[in-house]
Amino acid sequence: MTKRLISTLLTLTLALSMLIPCAVAEDGGKMLRIIEKADPETLDVQLTTDSYCIPLNCFDRLVEIDTVDGQPQIVPGLADSWDVTEDGLTYTFHLHAGVKFHNGDPFTADDVVFTVNRMMDPTTLAKNTDVYERVAGAMDCLNGKADSVSGVEAIDDYTVRFTLIEPCDFFLSLLATPAGAIYNRESTEGAEDFGTNPAVCFGTGPFQVSQWVLGSKVTMVANPDYFRGAPQIDGVTVLIIPDENTQRMMFEQGNADVIDFDYAKTQLQWFMDNGYESQIVGGRRMGTYYLMFNTAIEPLDNVNVRKALQMAIDRQAILDAVYNGKGVVLNSFLPNGVPGHDDDAEVIPYDPARARELLAEEGYANGFDMELAIVADNPDLPVYTIIASYLGQVGVRVRINQMDSSSFYDIRRDGKLPGYYNHWSADFNDPDNFLYTFFSNKNTVGRSVNYDNDEIKALLDAARLMPDHEARIEAYRMIDAAVSHEDAVVLPMYQTEHLFCLSKRVKNFKVAWNGWSNMSYYTVALEG
Amino acid sequence: MAKYIAKRILSTIPVLLGIILLIFFMLNVIPGDPVTVMMKEHLKEDVIENLRQSMHLDDPFFVRYFHYVSGAVRGDLGMSWKLHRPVTSLIADAFPYTLRLAVCAALFSWIIGIPVGIISAIKKGTLLDHVSMGVSLFGVSMPVFWIALILQNAFMRVLPVSGVDSWKCYILPTIVLGWSTAGRIARLTRSNLLEVMRNDYIRTARSKGLSPAAVIFRHALKNALIPVITVMALQVSSLLSGAVITETVFSIPGIGSLAVTAINNRDMPLLQGTVIFTALIIIAGNLAADLLYTAIDPRIRVD
Repeated sequence: MTKRLISTLLTLTLALSMLIPCAVAEDGGKMLRIIEKADPETLDVQLTTDSYCIPLNCFDRLVEIDTVDGQPQIVPGLADSWDVTEDGLTYTFHLHAGVKFHNGDPFTADDVVFTVNRMMDPTTLAKNTDVYERVAGAMDCLNGKADSVSGVEAIDDYTVRFTLIEPCDFFLSLLATPAGAIYNRESTEGAEDFGTNPAVCFGTGPFQVSQWVLGSKVTMVANPDYFRGAPQIDGVTVLIIPDENTQRMMFEQGNADVIDFDYAKTQLQWFMDNGYESQIVGGRRMGTYYLMFNTAIEPLDNVNVRKALQMAIDRQAILDAVYNGKGVVLNSFLPNGVPGHDDDAEVIPYDPARARELLAEEGYANGFDMELAIVADNPDLPVYTIIASYLGQVGVRVRINQMDSSSFYDIRRDGKLPGYYNHWSADFNDPDNFLYTFFSNKNTVGRSVNYDNDEIKALLDAARLMPDHEARIEAYRMIDAAVSHEDAVVLPMYQTEHLFCLSKRVKNFKVAWNGWSNMSYYTVALEG
Repeated sequence: MAKYIAKRILSTIPVLLGIILLIFFMLNVIPGDPVTVMMKEHLKEDVIENLRQSMHLDDPFFVRYFHYVSGAVRGDLGMSWKLHRPVTSLIADAFPYTLRLAVCAALFSWIIGIPVGIISAIKKGTLLDHVSMGVSLFGVSMPVFWIALILQNAFMRVLPVSGVDSWKCYILPTIVLGWSTAGRIARLTRSNLLEVMRNDYIRTARSKGLSPAAVIFRHALKNALIPVITVMALQVSSLLSGAVITETVFSIPGIGSLAVTAINNRDMPLLQGTVIFTALIIIAGNLAADLLYTAIDPRIRVD
């Protein structure tokens, strides 16, 4: 009886396991194999604020941003050219004729109108509505007061016009963000699983998603009919590997072509020590590491105390120790490459003796207690401990408060988070994306800065509406000087490089203009 | 028997309702707003409000509980906030990978564990016994991630270390997952067999002049394996509910990986779904163990 039962069970389980089909390896020789730590949230860029890797390769935008002569510039995308009226309120885009979506549908101005309306439709539950929020009627649509966005219209098949409610010098930069991807009305409208089902996800981009095995890999194949010419590789396989050691071993085995050290921070030293140094490439991050002070918390409400803290930290030493010296120390909140960055900004010195003096002058000769907050799984914890030790040397006793991400963001939204160290990189190439985000009336509480300089905050509101580009940039320079120096509400730390290790067969690898992990692989070629 | 099974199945209903209530309550009391986690660096009040409404976060606790339970009864566990897919289909897609790994790991642990336990019992006190028990103790006590790392490093030239593309991908995770359970089974088989061997009926069998092999395999093993089989049944149900660490290290998109995604992203519907699924599997495993007991040992009756 027992024997029979056990043998039946064994046969059954064996048979059952045979029934489950095994995925078959399909990667050919010309597939670029990259690694991501987690699945993309969705392929629908309107619904995500971070899963941009695949959309950047499958969709195109009206205009694109690319590094030209070392500087990011707006270049034509699906629009060959555009006219802007003098008041900065009307943008007319002349679209490239003959572009086709992956399913063969022609791309026309109506697809642009559809895309904008879909983003602002409240039932879409889009997260990236700020791309179009200045288009006339867009906010009415989002708030349910209108059925469609009145400020976008198709003039003919290849001309589309946007009317804005106020001048926006960075409107083109917004359109060039991943969230500006243009969708196909025909296949997207009514497709409930658009974004999760590759079979209904059609863009105009150089690659098309052919398969998505959740938790395992996403496969993109080259679009031979791409309007700028077919890519030089057969496609891209995005391997989903959460474990950093496993990522490294996949590379060692020759099963991955690119290691992104943002996803494998713990492995960088191993690559440096094991003969891969010549294969490590870097690209400038268009971003700033910073230490933010909450100016509503005593004694950080005292500008001289903040200045003392700025002087107490040796930023170059941290850059060298933690980031292998790959980067530059910043003296302004706007990093190199972002318009308004001041090369000649006053240097914030590392001068602990002067910092102690300043603290003594303000009545803190014996230092004080302060808190720095961090999300529990943030790999930047070592930097926090170094900062705490520097501040300890001038008598400031720092308590590092590790909290879970929802508490961190919740408390920050209420303006009550103590100081924090973090990194901000450009979503779009404009100083507004840095300065308005942290110091404006609208955001300064939500970012727990509680900046109280009304003059600068008024200038921030005014600057975004200035039609004169040069005057705008000059205004941001002044704002940056105020927040980084005169009012010292933030300590700009450094701008680092984003490092990758490439297999020897990878050629023409070009880090994205803003140094993000999310990038286009259109230019990449594979040798051998 | 049929009445007993029906009774057991019916008794799972209040258990499940309680589990849902408990997880609902726990996710409700932990601090923080899931929408804030979702939006992270992006603060847009209009969008946040819109999302909160669509996720029914402002509804009273029991209204949400009732909605969830009434959906769950119809097989609708809601949409994953992070992965934008129905939770039921996510679980259905992930389960085959977990099933495959669980079946392989269970077979591995039985095929290794039971013979090793028998040999150790027969050769009690010899070097062989000490070595095999040492190895099983090692398997039971070593953390899974550590064994995984060591095996990956040792076999990376010949075996895949990640993915699910071919049957070879399952070799290392099977060993990692199966080793610790094999150790447990080997130790249990050995101790039970030794205990049974002291019984009168074994002495009788021996005195009849039966060969040692016949005594062990025909008389002793039958009784020694009863508790082992219970452990095996429970082990299968725990393997089927997902091996979080093994699946993460080897990038296997099973139930364990799904649970990790849910936890990392405060994805309540997905987390509730995986917990309920796990609970169901454990309940089913317990029931199977009880039924197996009665099938193997006629002395045990369920009713």
